[in-house]
Amino acid sequence: MADYGLVLAAFTAPIEIGTTPSSMLWMFPLLAAIALVYKATKMRVLFTKKYLLESLLLFLSVSGFLIMAIIVLNLLSWLVTS
Amino acid sequence: MAETNTNNRLSLDKGLWLIIVGLAAWMIPGAGHFLIRERKRGIILFSVTTALFVTGLFVGSMGVVDWVTGRIWFYAQILYSPAVGLIGNITKHGGYPVYGRPCDVGQIYTCIAGMLNLLCILSAVYMAYCGRGEMIGHEEEQDNG
Repeated sequence: MADYGLVLAAFTAPIEIGTTPSSMLWMFPLLAAIALVYKATKMRVLFTKKYLLESLLLFLSVSGFLIMAIIVLNLLSWLVTS
Repeated sequence: MAETNTNNRLSLDKGLWLIIVGLAAWMIPGAGHFLIRERKRGIILFSVTTALFVTGLFVGSMGVVDWVTGRIWFYAQILYSPAVGLIGNITKHGGYPVYGRPCDVGQIYTCIAGMLNLLCILSAVYMAYCGRGEMIGHEEEQDNG
């Protein structure tokens, strides 16, 4: 019973996340979830292997695009401030 | 005359069926797909959206669901399930700390979970409307066999 209390207590206070560049890593689980749900609703027939492969491809392409956007924006801010 | 009555009855039944599927998909994420025999799809959607929502609550605390000060966020969050309203009722007095980056991450995760469930609701209703659940199940059986 005390274990359930501890689990519930974990939801009453936020965890520690600093305002550091590494906090951007929190976007990857979100992207994975979006890719999995999108492909689950979009694919006409769900075959496990094909579904996982297509979800992975979508996840990688969206992640790649976002990483590119981060690099471009950083370069722009470096050019403007230097 | 009798044929028109039968057609009306059929369209009424179908409309009711679509409403039931939509409501089930809202009450329990993935349940709409489960009703139309898309069990694998339903289990995936339930697991992923629930994991996302629970992670959001864990990261930002229950305080991220707040219909008093964060009403716009709440509209997206309640798309996940009506149960979110119960959480909002618990947190409305503001007894749960929520601040900084964990608040951002928690709010984004819970809102995206809600909006993904909206996608699931629309997908389930559309599949029920097309009668695709049975067709896909049949195709899948043939392909596996």
